[in-house]
Amino acid sequence: MTAAGASWSPPIPAGRRVGRFDLLVRLVRRPEGAFGVLILAIFAALALAPDFFVGPLQTAVTAHGTRLSPPSAAFPLGTDELRRDMLNLTVHGARVSMAIGLLATLVTVFIGAVVGIVSGFVGGRVDAVLMRITDFFLVIPTFVLALILTPIIRDLVGSGSTEILGIRMTLIVIVIVIGITSWSSSARIIRSQTLSLKERAFVDRARVIGAGSGHIMRRHILPNVINLIVANSVLVFAGAVLTETTLSFVGLGDPFQPSWGQLLEAARSVGAPGLGAWWYFVPPGVCIVLVVFAFTLVGGALDDLLNPKRRGRA
Amino acid sequence: MSGSYLARRFGSALFTIALIVLVNFVLFRALPGSPERVILRGTPNVTPAQLEAARERWGLNDPVFPDQFVAFLGATVSGDLGYSFVARGQTVGQVLAQRIWPTVILFGLGELVAIVLGLALGAYSGWRRGGPVDVVGNGISLILYSTPYFLLGMALLLVFATGLRWFPTFGMLTAGATYPDIWARLGDFVSHLALPLATVGLGLVGQYAIVMRSSIVETLSEDYVTTARGMGLSEGRILRHHALPNALLPTVSLIAINLGYVVAGAITVEVVFNWPGLGTLAVEALTARDYPVLQGVFLLLSVSVVLANLLADLVYGVLDPRVRT
Repeated sequence: MTAAGASWSPPIPAGRRVGRFDLLVRLVRRPEGAFGVLILAIFAALALAPDFFVGPLQTAVTAHGTRLSPPSAAFPLGTDELRRDMLNLTVHGARVSMAIGLLATLVTVFIGAVVGIVSGFVGGRVDAVLMRITDFFLVIPTFVLALILTPIIRDLVGSGSTEILGIRMTLIVIVIVIGITSWSSSARIIRSQTLSLKERAFVDRARVIGAGSGHIMRRHILPNVINLIVANSVLVFAGAVLTETTLSFVGLGDPFQPSWGQLLEAARSVGAPGLGAWWYFVPPGVCIVLVVFAFTLVGGALDDLLNPKRRGRA
Repeated sequence: MSGSYLARRFGSALFTIALIVLVNFVLFRALPGSPERVILRGTPNVTPAQLEAARERWGLNDPVFPDQFVAFLGATVSGDLGYSFVARGQTVGQVLAQRIWPTVILFGLGELVAIVLGLALGAYSGWRRGGPVDVVGNGISLILYSTPYFLLGMALLLVFATGLRWFPTFGMLTAGATYPDIWARLGDFVSHLALPLATVGLGLVGQYAIVMRSSIVETLSEDYVTTARGMGLSEGRILRHHALPNALLPTVSLIAINLGYVVAGAITVEVVFNWPGLGTLAVEALTARDYPVLQGVFLLLSVSVVLANLLADLVYGVLDPRVRT
């Protein structure tokens, strides 16, 4: 890497220079964008400080309601079979679901960006092999792969009570599994953008100055695909929340750090729909639908804003 | 259709299936603990001699590559997927065979209902963009799209089985019931099928409507549609003869690509309704750590999805001459 190359900032083509706050302003000017951002802001607040809103997470020991009681003045969302307050569980579920979703999105988009940029930029054999692998993950039912991978990785790392960043190992495994199984569409999108960027003059100029491939990918390609990565992350987040929910629902969650999916699994195994205990699964269920819906709205709006081809289309 | 198009499609499907088998092979060997201990699981007081005999018997003393892999590949190709850990004495093939039909019926019918309704709704709302059906339909589609299948299933269960008592709450047939004739049996089956089928249909209809809608909108801005308008053709004729056939093309491949995701929903719907298909089998195997069965389910579902995609590619090739290069 030469000194000249390092200090030279990549030119972002005119018209695509979009500041972060500028983008947010344009996003909330669209009604669906504003609605999505509002919902996400509310859930972000709940996720950041659940203790502030409903106190610490209730356990079977600290619970003080009656068993499976319908909503009342004392328990606005009723109680579960362990006499815990559903409002408390749902708000704390926001923290777990959003944290897992966020981490899984970071892992997914990271893998997708690296594969996409390297594959598109390097080309040739590397591209062929990487895209074959990408296609494999695109076509197979990745959820079933996640179903097998989760217990195997859990047995390998040994769950126990180890925690990373306050998150139990069982859930970290879920994050890794979601990352491994859902990066393929991000890689495809980022690769195709990289392919067109590679042909631009500024890449040639950087190469003539003497910049290496690694440097060009980091300093010239990456800044130009970052918009795409942001827009894609939003949709990946929605998918990650859904995948986490589904994995928890089939029994791979962690009862000690209940996510919304874990609450739904508990509701199902208690037989809440059969008992008419709607308050057990409606609150976490509505939260999941709202969050995924909001991410889909924001993702769609961002895609419209950032992708010039789609401008003006519904 | 040119030979090279066919060859490429078949080649890529075959490659994907080979990778699936490889993943299955690697994963089983990644399991903690030695394989012979897994096989002898539950057998008390295993002597070193027994362990050695098991290693020899299962070919674990051979090199992993190529000997063990070739043996695994041969067994998989000939349909030998090993024995279930839990259902003692049953092969994975037998276990899968008992569970495959409920899933095929539920998802075959569910896909059919969703494709017909979804495409019709999507085409109409795209054609009448901004109209009442579009606004309401698109909103409902987006919400259905954001709803996990099992949540939809739980809601339907609560309202129609627990509340209204129109349908039974679980299973495929009433347990222990005897039927006077085949029709009574079929009736019982249909009443058990209704709610899971509605769940699958509703779960899928949203995505198909969204895909079809955007495809129609895209098609309506094409030059040949403008030409048709210029020729003075009626709107209905333009939709049926010009826009719809072209808009269906991308929808066919998107439906095929989506199959992989549908499988995840399939598993959870079966769990909610205790439908005795591959989904409940997968979750039972997961809970009991019955890895051979879990791998069998993975192999069966993945290969089915790959083959369905291959079929969609071939259909696409027949419908659209432009891709046959």
